[in-house]
Amino acid sequence: MSAPTLVNYVAKRPWLQKLLKPVASWYTNASLYRQMGLKADDLISEENTDVLKALGRLTPKESYDRIYRIRRATQLSLQQKILPKNEWTKPEEDVPYLSPILQAIEAEAKEKQALDTLVPAKGSH
Amino acid sequence: MICRSALSRGSKLALGRQGARGFAAAASPKASYEPTTIAGVKVASRDDNGPTTRLAVVAKAGTRYEPLPGLTVGLEEFAYKNTNKRSALRINREAELLGGQLTAYHTREALVLQASFLREDLPYFTELLAEVVSQTRYTTHEFHEEVKDIIHQKQAKVDASAVALDAAHAVAFHSGLGAPLYPTPSTPIDSYLNEQAVADFAAAAYSKSNIAVVADGASDHGLQKWIEPFFKSVPAQGSGSLNNAASKYHGGEQRISAVGQNSVVIAFPGASLGASSPETAVLAGLLGGESTIKWSPGFSLLSQAAAPGAQARATNYAYSDAGLLAIQINGQSAAVKKTAEAAVKALKSVAESGVPQEVLVKAIAKAKFTLLSGSEVGGVGIVHAGANLIHGGSPLKVAETLKAFESVTGDKLKAAAKALLEGKASVASVGDLHVLPFAEDLGLQV
Repeated sequence: MSAPTLVNYVAKRPWLQKLLKPVASWYTNASLYRQMGLKADDLISEENTDVLKALGRLTPKESYDRIYRIRRATQLSLQQKILPKNEWTKPEEDVPYLSPILQAIEAEAKEKQALDTLVPAKGSH
Repeated sequence: MICRSALSRGSKLALGRQGARGFAAAASPKASYEPTTIAGVKVASRDDNGPTTRLAVVAKAGTRYEPLPGLTVGLEEFAYKNTNKRSALRINREAELLGGQLTAYHTREALVLQASFLREDLPYFTELLAEVVSQTRYTTHEFHEEVKDIIHQKQAKVDASAVALDAAHAVAFHSGLGAPLYPTPSTPIDSYLNEQAVADFAAAAYSKSNIAVVADGASDHGLQKWIEPFFKSVPAQGSGSLNNAASKYHGGEQRISAVGQNSVVIAFPGASLGASSPETAVLAGLLGGESTIKWSPGFSLLSQAAAPGAQARATNYAYSDAGLLAIQINGQSAAVKKTAEAAVKALKSVAESGVPQEVLVKAIAKAKFTLLSGSEVGGVGIVHAGANLIHGGSPLKVAETLKAFESVTGDKLKAAAKALLEGKASVASVGDLHVLPFAEDLGLQV
Protein backbone atom coordinates (compact mmCIF):
# COMPACT_ATOMS: atom_id res chain seq x y z
CA MET A 1 0.00 0.00 0.00
CA SER A 2 1.40 3.36 -0.89
CA ALA A 3 1.79 5.67 2.06
CA PRO A 4 -0.52 8.69 2.47
CA THR A 5 1.22 11.73 1.07
CA LEU A 6 0.79 15.45 0.62
CA VAL A 7 3.29 15.60 -2.21
CA ASN A 8 0.74 16.62 -4.84
CA TYR A 9 -0.57 19.39 -2.62
CA VAL A 10 2.92 20.72 -2.07
CA ALA A 11 4.05 20.32 -5.68
CA LYS A 12 1.22 22.58 -6.84
CA ARG A 13 2.47 25.43 -4.66
CA PRO A 14 6.02 26.45 -5.66
CA TRP A 15 6.56 28.64 -2.62
CA LEU A 16 5.66 25.79 -0.31
CA GLN A 17 7.84 23.39 -2.23
CA LYS A 18 10.75 25.81 -2.03
CA LEU A 19 10.20 26.13 1.67
CA LEU A 20 9.92 22.42 2.39
CA LYS A 21 12.51 21.01 0.00
CA PRO A 22 15.55 21.51 2.29
CA VAL A 23 13.61 20.05 5.20
CA ALA A 24 12.58 17.04 3.09
CA SER A 25 16.12 16.45 1.86
CA TRP A 26 17.45 16.63 5.38
CA TYR A 27 14.82 14.19 6.59
CA THR A 28 15.46 11.72 3.77
CA ASN A 29 19.17 11.79 4.51
CA ALA A 30 18.63 11.45 8.21
CA SER A 31 16.49 8.34 7.75
CA LEU A 32 19.70 6.58 6.69
CA TYR A 33 18.27 4.22 4.07
CA ARG A 34 20.42 5.79 1.36
CA GLN A 35 23.48 5.10 3.44
CA MET A 36 22.44 1.41 3.33
CA GLY A 37 22.20 1.51 -0.46
CA LEU A 38 18.41 1.31 -0.56
CA LYS A 39 15.87 3.26 -2.55
CA ALA A 40 12.75 4.73 -0.97
CA ASP A 41 10.50 2.22 -2.76
CA ASP A 42 12.44 -0.68 -1.19
CA LEU A 43 10.91 0.35 2.14
CA ILE A 44 7.32 -0.32 1.08
CA SER A 45 5.97 -3.22 3.09
CA GLU A 46 5.61 -6.39 1.09
CA GLU A 47 2.90 -7.92 3.27
CA ASN A 48 0.05 -6.76 1.06
CA THR A 49 -1.59 -8.37 -1.97
CA ASP A 50 -1.38 -5.18 -4.02
CA VAL A 51 2.35 -4.83 -3.37
CA LEU A 52 2.95 -8.49 -4.17
CA LYS A 53 1.09 -8.01 -7.45
CA ALA A 54 3.18 -4.90 -8.19
CA LEU A 55 6.40 -6.78 -7.43
CA GLY A 56 5.28 -9.39 -9.96
CA ARG A 57 5.06 -6.70 -12.61
CA LEU A 58 8.67 -5.51 -12.22
CA THR A 59 11.04 -6.37 -15.03
CA PRO A 60 13.50 -9.19 -14.21
CA LYS A 61 16.35 -6.64 -13.97
CA GLU A 62 14.46 -4.37 -11.56
CA SER A 63 13.44 -7.33 -9.48
CA TYR A 64 17.01 -8.66 -9.28
CA ASP A 65 18.44 -5.27 -8.31
CA ARG A 66 15.81 -4.84 -5.62
CA ILE A 67 16.62 -8.17 -4.02
CA TYR A 68 20.34 -7.34 -4.19
CA ARG A 69 19.84 -4.00 -2.41
CA ILE A 70 17.69 -5.56 0.28
CA ARG A 71 20.14 -8.40 0.97
CA ARG A 72 23.05 -5.99 1.14
CA ALA A 73 21.13 -3.77 3.54
CA THR A 74 20.24 -6.76 5.73
CA GLN A 75 23.90 -7.74 5.89
CA LEU A 76 24.93 -4.18 6.77
CA SER A 77 22.30 -4.09 9.45
CA LEU A 78 23.67 -7.29 10.99
CA GLN A 79 27.17 -5.91 10.94
CA GLN A 80 26.06 -2.56 12.36
CA LYS A 81 27.72 -0.78 9.44
CA ILE A 82 26.86 1.61 6.67
CA LEU A 83 28.25 1.57 3.14
CA PRO A 84 31.34 3.59 2.17
CA LYS A 85 30.22 7.02 1.04
CA ASN A 86 30.77 6.47 -2.69
CA GLU A 87 28.30 3.56 -2.63
CA TRP A 88 25.45 5.46 -0.97
CA THR A 89 22.32 5.81 -3.07
CA LYS A 90 22.57 9.15 -4.82
CA PRO A 91 19.47 11.39 -4.69
CA GLU A 92 19.10 11.19 -8.51
CA GLU A 93 19.15 7.37 -8.34
CA ASP A 94 16.44 7.31 -5.72
CA VAL A 95 13.55 7.20 -8.17
CA PRO A 96 10.22 5.52 -7.53
CA TYR A 97 10.22 2.26 -9.49
CA LEU A 98 7.48 0.44 -7.60
CA SER A 99 5.03 3.12 -6.53
CA PRO A 100 3.82 4.00 -10.07
CA ILE A 101 2.90 0.33 -10.58
CA LEU A 102 1.33 0.24 -7.16
CA GLN A 103 -0.70 3.33 -7.89
CA ALA A 104 -1.93 1.80 -11.15
CA ILE A 105 -3.02 -1.35 -9.29
CA GLU A 106 -4.80 0.70 -6.65
CA ALA A 107 -6.53 2.72 -9.36
CA GLU A 108 -7.66 -0.53 -11.00
CA ALA A 109 -9.08 -1.79 -7.72
CA LYS A 110 -10.80 1.50 -7.10
CA GLU A 111 -12.31 1.50 -10.56
CA LYS A 112 -13.49 -2.07 -10.09
CA GLN A 113 -15.06 -1.15 -6.78
CA ALA A 114 -16.79 1.83 -8.37
CA LEU A 115 -18.11 -0.21 -11.29
CA ASP A 116 -19.22 -3.04 -8.99
CA THR A 117 -21.30 -0.72 -6.88
CA LEU A 118 -22.93 1.35 -9.60
CA VAL A 119 -26.32 2.65 -8.59
CA PRO A 120 -28.71 3.57 -11.38
CA ALA A 121 -29.72 7.19 -11.09
CA LYS A 122 -33.36 7.66 -10.30
CA GLY A 123 -35.44 8.66 -13.28
CA SER A 124 -32.72 8.09 -15.86
CA HIS A 125 -34.90 5.44 -17.52
CA MET B 1 -37.05 -31.37 -60.61
CA ILE B 2 -39.33 -32.44 -57.84
CA CYS B 3 -41.87 -35.10 -58.77
CA ARG B 4 -45.21 -33.34 -58.31
CA SER B 5 -47.35 -36.39 -57.63
CA ALA B 6 -45.28 -37.07 -54.55
CA LEU B 7 -46.33 -33.81 -52.94
CA SER B 8 -49.44 -33.02 -50.98
CA ARG B 9 -51.93 -30.42 -52.21
CA GLY B 10 -50.67 -27.80 -49.80
CA SER B 11 -47.09 -28.07 -50.88
CA LYS B 12 -48.15 -28.04 -54.53
CA LEU B 13 -49.83 -24.72 -53.88
CA ALA B 14 -46.73 -23.44 -52.15
CA LEU B 15 -44.51 -24.57 -55.00
CA GLY B 16 -46.81 -22.93 -57.52
CA ARG B 17 -46.80 -19.67 -55.65
CA GLN B 18 -43.03 -19.72 -55.36
CA GLY B 19 -42.79 -20.44 -59.07
CA ALA B 20 -44.94 -17.45 -59.82
CA ARG B 21 -42.77 -15.20 -57.70
CA GLY B 22 -39.61 -16.65 -59.16
CA PHE B 23 -36.51 -18.02 -57.49
CA ALA B 24 -34.72 -14.75 -58.08
CA ALA B 25 -36.68 -13.34 -55.16
CA ALA B 26 -34.46 -15.39 -52.87
CA ALA B 27 -31.47 -13.39 -54.03
CA SER B 28 -32.67 -9.92 -53.18
CA PRO B 29 -29.99 -7.19 -53.35
CA LYS B 30 -30.00 -6.95 -49.53
CA ALA B 31 -28.14 -10.25 -49.33
CA SER B 32 -24.93 -8.63 -50.60
CA TYR B 33 -22.69 -6.17 -48.80
CA GLU B 34 -22.24 -2.81 -50.54
CA PRO B 35 -18.64 -1.59 -50.58
CA THR B 36 -17.85 2.10 -49.98
CA THR B 37 -14.96 4.11 -48.63
CA ILE B 38 -15.46 6.52 -45.74
CA ALA B 39 -12.54 8.82 -44.88
CA GLY B 40 -10.01 6.35 -46.25
CA VAL B 41 -11.52 3.36 -44.46
CA LYS B 42 -12.95 0.57 -46.60
CA VAL B 43 -16.48 -0.15 -45.49
CA ALA B 44 -18.89 -2.87 -46.52
CA SER B 45 -22.42 -2.50 -45.26
CA ARG B 46 -25.89 -3.83 -45.61
CA ASP B 47 -28.94 -2.69 -43.73
CA ASP B 48 -32.03 -4.75 -43.13
CA ASN B 49 -33.48 -2.19 -40.70
CA GLY B 50 -33.44 -4.77 -37.92
CA PRO B 51 -33.19 -3.83 -34.24
CA THR B 52 -29.60 -5.05 -33.82
CA THR B 53 -26.34 -4.25 -35.52
CA ARG B 54 -23.16 -6.20 -36.03
CA LEU B 55 -20.09 -4.09 -36.60
CA ALA B 56 -16.73 -5.68 -37.28
CA VAL B 57 -13.21 -4.60 -38.02
CA VAL B 58 -11.70 -7.20 -40.31
CA ALA B 59 -7.91 -6.90 -40.46
CA LYS B 60 -5.57 -8.64 -42.85
CA ALA B 61 -3.78 -10.21 -39.90
CA GLY B 62 -4.73 -13.88 -39.89
CA THR B 63 -2.21 -16.61 -39.22
CA ARG B 64 -1.22 -16.47 -42.86
CA TYR B 65 0.17 -12.94 -42.53
CA GLU B 66 1.88 -13.19 -39.14
CA PRO B 67 5.63 -12.60 -39.51
CA LEU B 68 6.36 -14.79 -36.47
CA PRO B 69 4.39 -17.75 -35.12
CA GLY B 70 1.71 -16.99 -32.57
CA LEU B 71 1.38 -13.24 -33.14
CA THR B 72 -2.15 -13.48 -34.52
CA VAL B 73 -3.46 -15.27 -31.46
CA GLY B 74 -1.57 -12.79 -29.29
CA LEU B 75 -3.20 -9.87 -31.06
CA GLU B 76 -6.58 -11.56 -30.85
CA GLU B 77 -6.30 -12.01 -27.09
CA PHE B 78 -5.14 -8.42 -26.66
CA ALA B 79 -8.41 -7.17 -28.12
CA TYR B 80 -10.47 -5.07 -25.67
CA LYS B 81 -7.58 -4.87 -23.18
CA ASN B 82 -6.36 -1.61 -21.62
CA THR B 83 -6.26 1.30 -24.02
CA ASN B 84 -4.86 4.78 -23.55
CA LYS B 85 -8.35 6.04 -22.78
CA ARG B 86 -9.91 3.37 -20.57
CA SER B 87 -9.24 0.09 -18.86
CA ALA B 88 -10.21 -3.37 -20.05
CA LEU B 89 -12.60 -3.65 -17.14
CA ARG B 90 -14.38 -0.45 -18.10
CA ILE B 91 -14.72 -1.61 -21.70
CA ASN B 92 -16.33 -4.83 -20.47
CA ARG B 93 -18.67 -3.19 -18.02
CA GLU B 94 -19.76 -0.46 -20.42
CA ALA B 95 -20.46 -3.00 -23.15
CA GLU B 96 -22.46 -5.04 -20.63
CA LEU B 97 -24.48 -2.01 -19.59
CA LEU B 98 -25.40 -1.38 -23.22
CA GLY B 99 -26.23 -5.04 -23.78
CA GLY B 100 -23.51 -5.41 -26.38
CA GLN B 101 -21.39 -8.43 -27.17
CA LEU B 102 -17.70 -8.13 -27.95
CA THR B 103 -15.83 -10.92 -29.67
CA ALA B 104 -12.48 -11.35 -31.34
CA TYR B 105 -11.63 -14.31 -33.53
CA HIS B 106 -9.38 -15.13 -36.40
CA THR B 107 -9.31 -17.21 -39.53
CA ARG B 108 -6.29 -18.10 -41.57
CA GLU B 109 -6.52 -14.77 -43.37
CA ALA B 110 -8.42 -12.36 -41.20
CA LEU B 111 -8.48 -11.14 -37.65
CA VAL B 112 -11.97 -9.99 -36.72
CA LEU B 113 -13.00 -7.70 -33.89
CA GLN B 114 -16.75 -7.83 -33.78
CA ALA B 115 -19.34 -6.03 -31.72
CA SER B 116 -23.03 -6.90 -31.72
CA PHE B 117 -25.32 -4.33 -30.14
CA LEU B 118 -28.61 -2.47 -30.28
CA ARG B 119 -28.99 -0.28 -33.30
CA GLU B 120 -28.96 3.04 -31.44
CA ASP B 121 -25.56 2.33 -29.82
CA LEU B 122 -23.63 2.61 -33.09
CA PRO B 123 -21.57 5.68 -32.05
CA TYR B 124 -20.35 4.05 -28.83
CA PHE B 125 -19.23 0.83 -30.46
CA THR B 126 -17.70 2.57 -33.49
CA GLU B 127 -15.58 4.57 -31.09
CA LEU B 128 -14.71 1.46 -29.09
CA LEU B 129 -13.55 -0.55 -32.09
CA ALA B 130 -11.49 2.35 -33.42
CA GLU B 131 -9.95 2.80 -29.98
CA VAL B 132 -9.09 -0.90 -29.66
CA VAL B 133 -7.50 -0.85 -33.09
CA SER B 134 -5.44 2.30 -32.64
CA GLN B 135 -4.87 2.82 -28.92
CA THR B 136 -4.45 -0.52 -27.19
CA ARG B 137 -1.46 -0.33 -24.85
CA TYR B 138 -0.18 -3.93 -25.08
CA THR B 139 1.11 -3.83 -21.51
CA THR B 140 3.59 -6.33 -20.17
CA HIS B 141 1.57 -7.28 -17.11
CA GLU B 142 -1.58 -8.01 -19.11
CA PHE B 143 0.45 -10.24 -21.39
CA HIS B 144 1.87 -12.22 -18.47
CA GLU B 145 -1.20 -12.20 -16.23
CA GLU B 146 -4.01 -12.71 -18.75
CA VAL B 147 -3.13 -13.15 -22.42
CA LYS B 148 -0.62 -15.96 -21.92
CA ASP B 149 -2.97 -17.95 -19.69
CA ILE B 150 -5.83 -17.73 -22.17
CA ILE B 151 -3.57 -18.81 -25.02
CA HIS B 152 -2.38 -21.80 -23.01
CA GLN B 153 -5.94 -22.77 -22.16
CA LYS B 154 -7.02 -22.56 -25.78
CA GLN B 155 -3.95 -24.49 -26.89
CA ALA B 156 -4.95 -27.33 -24.59
CA LYS B 157 -8.30 -27.53 -26.35
CA VAL B 158 -6.87 -28.03 -29.86
CA ASP B 159 -8.18 -31.46 -30.83
CA ALA B 160 -7.11 -34.08 -33.36
CA SER B 161 -9.41 -32.80 -36.10
CA ALA B 162 -7.93 -29.29 -35.82
CA VAL B 163 -4.39 -30.69 -35.84
CA ALA B 164 -5.20 -32.79 -38.90
CA LEU B 165 -6.69 -29.83 -40.75
CA ASP B 166 -3.65 -27.71 -39.89
CA ALA B 167 -1.34 -30.49 -41.04
CA ALA B 168 -3.23 -30.77 -44.34
CA HIS B 169 -2.86 -27.02 -44.83
CA ALA B 170 0.82 -27.25 -43.95
CA VAL B 171 1.58 -29.90 -46.57
CA ALA B 172 -0.66 -28.18 -49.10
CA PHE B 173 0.70 -24.65 -48.76
CA HIS B 174 3.90 -25.00 -46.65
CA SER B 175 4.27 -21.47 -45.18
CA GLY B 176 1.60 -18.74 -45.21
CA LEU B 177 -1.71 -20.55 -45.35
CA GLY B 178 0.13 -23.57 -43.97
CA ALA B 179 0.67 -21.87 -40.60
CA PRO B 180 -1.45 -23.53 -37.91
CA LEU B 181 -4.74 -21.79 -37.15
CA TYR B 182 -4.09 -22.21 -33.45
CA PRO B 183 -0.63 -23.25 -32.23
CA THR B 184 -0.69 -26.56 -30.37
CA PRO B 185 0.98 -26.95 -26.96
CA SER B 186 4.01 -28.42 -28.75
CA THR B 187 4.38 -25.48 -31.16
CA PRO B 188 7.36 -23.41 -29.98
CA ILE B 189 5.86 -19.91 -29.83
CA ASP B 190 7.20 -18.65 -26.52
CA SER B 191 10.40 -17.34 -28.04
CA TYR B 192 8.45 -15.27 -30.60
CA LEU B 193 5.38 -14.22 -28.69
CA ASN B 194 5.73 -11.27 -26.34
CA GLU B 195 3.88 -8.00 -25.87
CA GLN B 196 6.45 -6.01 -27.83
CA ALA B 197 6.20 -8.32 -30.85
CA VAL B 198 2.40 -8.16 -30.65
CA ALA B 199 2.51 -4.35 -30.51
CA ASP B 200 4.78 -4.27 -33.57
CA PHE B 201 2.45 -6.66 -35.39
CA ALA B 202 -0.52 -4.47 -34.44
CA ALA B 203 1.26 -1.40 -35.85
CA ALA B 204 1.74 -3.27 -39.12
CA ALA B 205 -1.74 -4.81 -39.23
CA TYR B 206 -4.06 -2.08 -37.95
CA SER B 207 -3.78 0.56 -40.64
CA LYS B 208 -6.45 1.98 -42.91
CA SER B 209 -5.04 0.16 -45.91
CA ASN B 210 -5.08 -3.14 -44.05
CA ILE B 211 -8.49 -3.15 -42.40
CA ALA B 212 -12.08 -3.11 -43.51
CA VAL B 213 -15.11 -2.19 -41.47
CA VAL B 214 -18.09 -4.43 -42.07
CA ALA B 215 -21.48 -3.31 -40.82
CA ASP B 216 -24.57 -5.45 -40.83
CA GLY B 217 -27.71 -3.60 -39.84
CA ALA B 218 -26.29 -0.09 -39.47
CA SER B 219 -27.66 2.85 -41.43
CA ASP B 220 -25.43 4.38 -44.09
CA HIS B 221 -26.03 7.77 -42.57
CA GLY B 222 -24.78 6.60 -39.16
CA LEU B 223 -21.67 5.02 -40.65
CA GLN B 224 -20.86 8.14 -42.66
CA LYS B 225 -21.25 10.24 -39.55
CA TRP B 226 -19.30 8.19 -37.01
CA ILE B 227 -16.55 6.32 -38.85
CA GLU B 228 -14.85 9.50 -40.04
CA PRO B 229 -14.20 11.09 -36.58
CA PHE B 230 -13.41 7.91 -34.68
CA PHE B 231 -11.16 6.18 -37.21
CA LYS B 232 -9.10 9.34 -37.66
CA SER B 233 -6.49 8.03 -35.23
CA VAL B 234 -5.90 4.87 -37.29
CA PRO B 235 -2.76 5.39 -39.40
CA ALA B 236 -3.14 5.31 -43.18
CA GLN B 237 -0.16 3.02 -43.68
CA GLY B 238 1.11 0.39 -41.30
CA SER B 239 4.69 0.33 -40.04
CA GLY B 240 6.56 -2.93 -40.28
CA SER B 241 5.88 -5.76 -42.62
CA LEU B 242 3.47 -8.66 -42.92
CA ASN B 243 4.18 -12.02 -44.45
CA ASN B 244 2.61 -11.32 -47.84
CA ALA B 245 3.96 -14.25 -49.87
CA ALA B 246 1.56 -15.64 -52.47
CA SER B 247 0.16 -19.12 -51.92
CA LYS B 248 1.34 -22.06 -53.94
CA TYR B 249 -0.15 -25.53 -53.77
CA HIS B 250 2.32 -28.32 -53.05
CA GLY B 251 0.50 -31.39 -51.73
CA GLY B 252 1.90 -34.25 -49.71
CA GLU B 253 1.28 -36.43 -46.72
CA GLN B 254 1.68 -35.91 -42.99
CA ARG B 255 1.16 -38.47 -40.21
CA ILE B 256 1.08 -37.52 -36.53
CA SER B 257 0.63 -39.86 -33.57
CA ALA B 258 -1.97 -38.90 -31.03
CA VAL B 259 -3.76 -40.66 -28.23
CA GLY B 260 -7.52 -40.86 -27.95
CA GLN B 261 -8.75 -39.14 -31.07
CA ASN B 262 -8.39 -40.03 -34.73
CA SER B 263 -8.75 -37.76 -37.70
CA VAL B 264 -7.96 -38.02 -41.38
CA VAL B 265 -8.07 -35.06 -43.75
CA ILE B 266 -7.99 -35.65 -47.49
CA ALA B 267 -7.62 -32.35 -49.29
CA PHE B 268 -7.38 -31.16 -52.87
CA PRO B 269 -6.83 -27.74 -54.44
CA GLY B 270 -10.18 -25.99 -54.11
CA ALA B 271 -11.73 -22.73 -55.21
CA SER B 272 -10.40 -19.39 -53.97
CA LEU B 273 -12.70 -16.62 -52.79
CA GLY B 274 -12.93 -14.58 -55.95
CA ALA B 275 -12.75 -17.52 -58.37
CA SER B 276 -15.87 -18.46 -60.23
CA SER B 277 -15.69 -22.22 -59.97
CA PRO B 278 -19.20 -23.32 -59.10
CA GLU B 279 -18.19 -26.95 -59.68
CA THR B 280 -16.12 -26.94 -56.50
CA ALA B 281 -18.98 -25.63 -54.39
CA VAL B 282 -21.40 -28.15 -55.91
CA LEU B 283 -18.85 -30.93 -55.45
CA ALA B 284 -18.55 -29.96 -51.78
CA GLY B 285 -22.34 -30.08 -51.57
CA LEU B 286 -22.37 -33.46 -53.28
CA LEU B 287 -19.75 -34.89 -50.94
CA GLY B 288 -21.63 -33.22 -48.10
CA GLY B 289 -21.24 -35.04 -44.84
CA GLU B 290 -23.34 -34.77 -41.74
CA SER B 291 -27.00 -35.22 -42.52
CA THR B 292 -28.99 -32.01 -42.56
CA ILE B 293 -32.35 -33.73 -42.16
CA LYS B 294 -33.63 -35.98 -39.42
CA TRP B 295 -34.09 -39.78 -39.63
CA SER B 296 -31.99 -40.19 -42.75
CA PRO B 297 -28.31 -40.22 -43.61
CA GLY B 298 -29.17 -37.89 -46.50
CA PHE B 299 -28.18 -38.12 -50.14
CA SER B 300 -24.60 -36.90 -49.79
CA LEU B 301 -21.79 -39.26 -50.73
CA LEU B 302 -19.86 -38.91 -47.49
CA SER B 303 -22.83 -39.49 -45.20
CA GLN B 304 -23.45 -42.73 -47.07
CA ALA B 305 -19.76 -43.62 -47.01
CA ALA B 306 -19.35 -42.97 -43.28
CA ALA B 307 -18.95 -46.16 -41.26
CA PRO B 308 -20.63 -46.32 -37.84
CA GLY B 309 -18.37 -44.56 -35.35
CA ALA B 310 -17.01 -41.99 -37.77
CA GLN B 311 -18.24 -38.68 -39.14
CA ALA B 312 -17.13 -37.25 -42.44
CA ARG B 313 -17.73 -33.89 -44.03
CA ALA B 314 -16.45 -31.98 -47.01
CA THR B 315 -15.76 -28.26 -46.98
CA ASN B 316 -14.24 -25.89 -49.48
CA TYR B 317 -11.94 -23.63 -47.49
CA ALA B 318 -11.77 -20.56 -49.69
CA TYR B 319 -8.93 -18.06 -49.28
CA SER B 320 -8.05 -14.94 -51.22
CA ASP B 321 -5.62 -16.58 -53.63
CA ALA B 322 -6.11 -20.31 -53.07
CA GLY B 323 -8.63 -22.81 -51.83
CA LEU B 324 -8.62 -26.22 -50.24
CA LEU B 325 -11.39 -28.73 -50.75
CA ALA B 326 -11.05 -30.87 -47.66
CA ILE B 327 -12.74 -34.08 -46.61
CA GLN B 328 -12.47 -34.37 -42.83
CA ILE B 329 -13.09 -37.71 -41.14
CA ASN B 330 -13.18 -38.03 -37.35
CA GLY B 331 -14.05 -40.91 -35.06
CA GLN B 332 -12.76 -44.32 -34.01
CA SER B 333 -9.62 -45.45 -35.83
CA ALA B 334 -11.08 -48.48 -37.65
CA ALA B 335 -14.19 -46.57 -38.68
CA VAL B 336 -12.08 -43.62 -39.84
CA LYS B 337 -10.00 -45.96 -41.99
CA LYS B 338 -13.08 -47.54 -43.55
CA THR B 339 -14.69 -44.15 -44.16
CA ALA B 340 -11.55 -42.74 -45.76
CA GLU B 341 -11.42 -45.66 -48.18
CA ALA B 342 -15.12 -45.33 -48.98
CA ALA B 343 -14.81 -41.56 -49.45
CA VAL B 344 -12.01 -41.89 -51.99
CA LYS B 345 -13.99 -44.63 -53.74
CA ALA B 346 -17.03 -42.36 -53.91
CA LEU B 347 -14.96 -39.53 -55.38
CA LYS B 348 -13.49 -41.93 -57.94
CA SER B 349 -16.94 -43.10 -58.95
CA VAL B 350 -17.94 -39.46 -59.57
CA ALA B 351 -14.83 -39.00 -61.72
CA GLU B 352 -15.52 -42.14 -63.73
CA SER B 353 -19.26 -42.35 -64.10
CA GLY B 354 -20.57 -38.94 -63.04
CA VAL B 355 -23.67 -38.51 -60.90
CA PRO B 356 -27.36 -39.08 -61.61
CA GLN B 357 -29.31 -35.95 -62.51
CA GLU B 358 -31.47 -36.23 -59.39
CA VAL B 359 -28.45 -36.22 -57.08
CA LEU B 360 -26.96 -33.30 -58.98
CA VAL B 361 -30.11 -31.24 -58.37
CA LYS B 362 -29.90 -32.00 -54.67
CA ALA B 363 -26.21 -31.09 -54.58
CA ILE B 364 -26.85 -27.77 -56.31
CA ALA B 365 -29.70 -27.00 -53.90
CA LYS B 366 -27.41 -27.83 -50.97
CA ALA B 367 -24.63 -25.61 -52.31
CA LYS B 368 -27.11 -22.78 -52.76
CA PHE B 369 -28.43 -23.14 -49.25
CA THR B 370 -24.93 -23.23 -47.78
CA LEU B 371 -24.00 -20.06 -49.64
CA LEU B 372 -27.15 -18.16 -48.69
CA SER B 373 -27.28 -19.24 -45.07
CA GLY B 374 -23.55 -18.58 -44.77
CA SER B 375 -23.88 -15.05 -46.04
CA GLU B 376 -27.00 -14.34 -44.01
CA VAL B 377 -26.41 -15.66 -40.52
CA GLY B 378 -23.33 -16.30 -38.41
CA GLY B 379 -20.04 -14.59 -38.92
CA VAL B 380 -19.11 -16.11 -42.27
CA GLY B 381 -20.67 -13.32 -44.30
CA ILE B 382 -18.83 -10.67 -42.31
CA VAL B 383 -15.44 -12.32 -42.63
CA HIS B 384 -15.83 -12.95 -46.35
CA ALA B 385 -17.08 -9.45 -47.06
CA GLY B 386 -14.21 -7.92 -45.10
CA ALA B 387 -11.54 -10.21 -46.50
CA ASN B 388 -12.66 -9.59 -50.06
CA LEU B 389 -12.58 -5.85 -49.51
CA ILE B 390 -9.03 -5.81 -48.12
CA HIS B 391 -7.78 -8.01 -50.92
CA GLY B 392 -9.17 -5.63 -53.50
CA GLY B 393 -12.05 -7.80 -54.64
CA SER B 394 -15.68 -6.87 -54.26
CA PRO B 395 -17.98 -8.59 -51.78
CA LEU B 396 -19.61 -11.82 -52.89
CA LYS B 397 -22.30 -11.23 -55.52
CA VAL B 398 -24.92 -13.64 -54.27
CA ALA B 399 -27.31 -13.53 -57.21
CA GLU B 400 -24.58 -14.14 -59.81
CA THR B 401 -23.05 -16.98 -57.83
CA LEU B 402 -26.41 -18.68 -57.50
CA LYS B 403 -26.89 -18.47 -61.26
CA ALA B 404 -23.46 -20.05 -61.76
CA PHE B 405 -24.45 -22.95 -59.48
CA GLU B 406 -27.47 -23.63 -61.70
CA SER B 407 -25.24 -23.94 -64.74
CA VAL B 408 -23.21 -26.85 -63.31
CA THR B 409 -23.83 -30.03 -65.30
CA GLY B 410 -22.98 -33.65 -64.63
CA ASP B 411 -20.16 -33.54 -67.15
CA LYS B 412 -18.57 -30.48 -65.55
CA LEU B 413 -18.73 -32.14 -62.15
CA LYS B 414 -17.17 -35.31 -63.56
CA ALA B 415 -14.32 -33.32 -65.11
CA ALA B 416 -13.76 -31.43 -61.86
CA ALA B 417 -13.57 -34.64 -59.81
CA LYS B 418 -11.22 -36.17 -62.33
CA ALA B 419 -8.90 -33.16 -62.22
CA LEU B 420 -8.76 -33.40 -58.44
CA LEU B 421 -7.82 -37.07 -58.43
CA GLU B 422 -5.18 -36.61 -61.12
CA GLY B 423 -3.48 -33.80 -59.21
CA LYS B 424 -1.55 -34.11 -55.98
CA ALA B 425 -3.61 -34.56 -52.83
CA SER B 426 -2.76 -33.37 -49.33
CA VAL B 427 -3.40 -36.05 -46.77
CA ALA B 428 -3.02 -35.72 -43.01
CA SER B 429 -3.63 -38.49 -40.49
CA VAL B 430 -3.67 -37.86 -36.76
CA GLY B 431 -4.24 -40.55 -34.17
CA ASP B 432 -3.57 -44.29 -34.11
CA LEU B 433 -1.14 -44.56 -37.01
CA HIS B 434 -1.11 -48.36 -36.77
CA VAL B 435 -4.64 -48.33 -38.18
CA LEU B 436 -4.95 -45.11 -40.15
CA PRO B 437 -4.21 -45.61 -43.86
CA PHE B 438 -1.43 -44.12 -45.96
CA ALA B 439 -2.43 -41.92 -48.88
CA GLU B 440 -1.03 -44.43 -51.30
CA ASP B 441 -3.22 -47.19 -49.85
CA LEU B 442 -6.23 -44.96 -50.37
CA GLY B 443 -5.28 -44.64 -54.03
CA LEU B 444 -4.28 -40.99 -53.94
CA GLN B 445 -1.25 -39.28 -55.42
CA VAL B 446 0.75 -37.21 -52.99
